[in-house]
This record gives sequence, structure tokens and C-alpha cells, in this order.
Amino acid sequence: MPPARMVVCIERREVVARDHVELYFRHPALTAAVPGQFAHILTEGTLRRPLSFSRLDPASGLAAVLFRVVGRGTAWLAARREGEPLDLLGPLGRGFPPPEPDRPWCLVGGGVGIPPLFAAWARWKASLRAPITVIAGARTREAVVMVEDFRAGGAEPWVTTDDGSLGEAGTVLGPLRRWLASHPQGQVYACGPTPMLAAVAAAVQGHGPCYLGLEQRMGCGVGACLACVVPAADRATWPPWRRVCCDGPVFLAEEVRLE
Amino acid sequence: MSDNPLAVEVAGMALPNPIIAASGTFGFGPEYAPYVNLARLGAVAAKGVSWDPWPGNPPPRVWETAAGLLNSIGLQNPGVEVFCREDLPFLRRAQTRVIANVIGRTIDEYARVVERLEREAGIDAIEVNISCPNVKEGGISFGQDPDHAAAVTRAVRAVTRRPVIVKLSPNVSDPVAIAQAVAAAGADALSAINTVIGMAIDLKRRRPALGAVTGGLSGPAIKPIALRVVWEVAQSVHIPIIGIGGIESAEDVVEFLMAGATAVMMGTVTFRDPGRMEAVIEALPATLRALGFECVRDAIGAAQGFCEEARP
Repeated sequence: MPPARMVVCIERREVVARDHVELYFRHPALTAAVPGQFAHILTEGTLRRPLSFSRLDPASGLAAVLFRVVGRGTAWLAARREGEPLDLLGPLGRGFPPPEPDRPWCLVGGGVGIPPLFAAWARWKASLRAPITVIAGARTREAVVMVEDFRAGGAEPWVTTDDGSLGEAGTVLGPLRRWLASHPQGQVYACGPTPMLAAVAAAVQGHGPCYLGLEQRMGCGVGACLACVVPAADRATWPPWRRVCCDGPVFLAEEVRLE
Repeated sequence: MSDNPLAVEVAGMALPNPIIAASGTFGFGPEYAPYVNLARLGAVAAKGVSWDPWPGNPPPRVWETAAGLLNSIGLQNPGVEVFCREDLPFLRRAQTRVIANVIGRTIDEYARVVERLEREAGIDAIEVNISCPNVKEGGISFGQDPDHAAAVTRAVRAVTRRPVIVKLSPNVSDPVAIAQAVAAAGADALSAINTVIGMAIDLKRRRPALGAVTGGLSGPAIKPIALRVVWEVAQSVHIPIIGIGGIESAEDVVEFLMAGATAVMMGTVTFRDPGRMEAVIEALPATLRALGFECVRDAIGAAQGFCEEARP
């Protein structure tokens, strides 16, 4: 689906946890997005806010974004009401590829990195013949979002929190390493803060394919301004960067260098 | 003269309207093609190109500020050869006016890039960037000294028959001196202003928000600075000026025209609203009429007369 600019009314608004809001939209161009793609949403700031889709459900006609309030733009967005119109560019970027059906699949999400993985899991879980594992972690219990959504769909995520307030105390790395020990050739899809992704990439190295959904401070969202770059793993070839907005936000772990 | 009330001529370049996509905010054109009709714009200023590829600065490269945007992209570009081979063909086909923006670390590099561009069809003017605050060598260092600015202008002037536009920096104590020097050195037009040097601190990370520490401020926050530079330069040189800095509406455009600009460039607003340039073109005739102007040309410098009357 080619990207477009659209004005879409908020169909539903839910506060899913403290400082975490999910907004639903009804638009066929959005539900046709690939999990891992994002919408670049107009707020009152100078720049739009790139938000990955948390749900892409052609059956219900609903797409959604789930975000944490971190600054003025997201605070403004969180204060919108049902029925209010939002100006979106999207779907933008390169999402996750469909997982290989016969390879064990592990989805590793940290905080607001969990939602795009939920969209991927919902889109492709039925296509998998191999077992699927979901690992969801965050700093503290209320930031581990969408666990109930996974449960409602028949998955039981392994939950970790840095402070031990929910699930296993520690990071997603503990369960991921145990999973890799028993599924050395499994495929890993991860999304979360950059330090988490760097650690996931390091842990998965030498195992199966590992796809990472990255975030970076973004300008235009369409590849023009070159703001949202991350270092390319191969610095010898041009360009030495990858643009998160259009070369990504999903990359093979080997493509990028996370520092 | 044309019946089109928006038509203007900048340094021999006939533009259907005075709205130009600012260099660095519009890529090489195709990135915004799904959202913007390039043919509708007055012109497109392509992202700056150097002789060799430049990697640009470490991220983060943008930071939002009150009514503005800090950037420290650092002129990342694939070099003039790749630009000619891979990017220029699209712009040629886009049926718009194309301004190639040129950057260099040395005077010789500026000249070599322009010489290379001279072999290519489909370029309507050369914009010489001597004012980017985000690179240590070249860029702004040429734009902060009248003699250096003139030397770059002369070197470029000598190797092209196309109109030469020199992009001025606000990060100088006397922009008029620079403007006069480059006008005397053969510039056909000026564009003003490039971004204003600034910085921000990321409180949570306890470090400068931008990877390059400092960056260039753009957006409505710098509009008054840009207007003042255009105003002063317009009184001191006799070549056209393209106004740049925080322009978001047809009223903003007319402000710059009345201050002495012949055309304007828009950039930062495109990031939030890719359709804004076309919307401004759409709104401009009615805005001009409401202010008592029949056409863009009538508005150019219209506020300058007031200055004389108001002086004691």
C-alpha cells in the first residue's frame, strides 16, 4: 500500500496504563500496513511523531497506535478525544518480513516496543507451524503493555521487569538466552529501546535471523531530511548510515551498528 | 509581462510563483513526490552536493524547540557524480525549476562541483551554500568573511553561465558586508537566511541533545531574524533576494516580499505539512489582493519606503 496523507478520526481511545494511550483508527490503507511500519502523526509541535502500529486488523477494519507520554507531542496526542480528527502520513517505512513458517519464532518487546510485535504476532501467528514465544519486558509492571491482548489471542508471554514488580526480575535477555539455548536456529523479532536491541542482537548473533525495529529522533519521515540515521554495520560502503524512516525502521541485526 | 500575478523573475530565472522548496528540507525531490506536486512549486532547491560523498554528523540530528527545529545533519550527500547520475534525472522529469545547491571544503571544491554540474541539462540556477553551521570545514567559514565569500563567488561565477545564488548566514555581525562582497563578486541573487546556530540539552541523558553538540535553528523562531537580514540586505545591494526563515503562510510570504525579497524558500514547515507550499501558492493571490497588491512584483520592497518617512 503506497503511503498517503490522510485525516482520520479517532475511533477509540484507551488509557492502557499510566502514561500509556492507545488510539484506534478505521481506515483500509492503515489496516493494510505491514507490522513494523509506522504512522507519522501531526501534533502541535514542529515535527510529526512517528508511532508504530499496535494493531492492524483488516477483519475489524481497525488499526491502532500505542504510545507512552514522553514529551509535549505525545502529551498533546494523549489528550485527544474519540471522534477528533488526526492528520497522518502512512503507512511509512519498511516493516517486518513474514516469519519463516517452519522456524521457531521469538518476539522480544521492551516497553512501547511491545505493540508493533503484537501486530506482527497477530498478523502471522496462524502461518507458523513452528512454536512461537513472546517475551515482554519493561522497567516496571505498568509499562509491560498488551500482555492481556497476547493472552486473549492464546499466547502466554514471558514477562520481565527491571524492578521485579511483574514476572521475572531482570531484563528480556534472561528468557531470550534460555529460549536460544533450546532453539539455537530460531528467528527473533525484537523492538524496544536501543540498548535492549543492542543486547538482543549480541545474544542472537550466531543463531538464526534477527530483525530489529529501531527508533530514532525523526524529521520528515519520508527519507528527505536524513535526520533519523543509525550507523550502518558496513562503514566501507556508501552511505555509512541507514535511515530509520525509510530504510527501516526494521533492519536485519547485521545491517546496523547499535551504540 | 505575464498575466500570472504570482510570476517573478529571480536572476534571469522565470518562476511561475515565488515559492521554492528550501535546500536540505526536500531531499532530491522523489521523497516528497507522493505528497507534493513539484511542477506546481516555483522551484525546488536540491539538497547540497559536494565533490566527494560527505557522511554528515552523528545522530541524533534533530531536536524540536519552541516554534523551531534544531538540526545537525552535517550536509550528508552522495557527491556530485551520484547526484548527476541518480538524482538529477528525476528532477528533470518533474517539470519544475531546479536549483542545484553546492557545498565544498575549499574554494576549488566549490568550483569543481559547479563545473561538473555545468555539463548537465535541467539545472536552472546554482545556489552556493557558504553558510551551513554544521560542518567545521567549508560551509559557514566561507560565509563569515567578506573576502572569502567573494572568493568563492568569483570561483563559481567563472565556471558557470547559470544564475548564481549565494546563500547567506545570519551567524555574522554584519550580513550586509557579506552581501555586498558577493554581489560585487558576481552573484546574481542572494538567499537569506541559513539556520541560526544554537543548541539544546537533553535533560534525561545529561548531554547535548544533538550528536554534533550544536546545530542550526530553523522554523518560525527565526523569522524575525530572517526578515531583519532581508530588510538590511535589500537596502544595500541591487540583486534579488530569496527570503528564508520560518515561512508558513501567505502572509509570511508577503512580509518577506515587502521587506525586499523577490521570492522565498520554505522548508521546516514541510516536515509537518508536506502540502503547505502548495497551500500557500493557492492562498497567495487573495492575500496579495486583500493587502492592496495586484501581483507579487508590486509587493516587493513595499515596506522599504516607510523606512525613509519614519526617520526623523
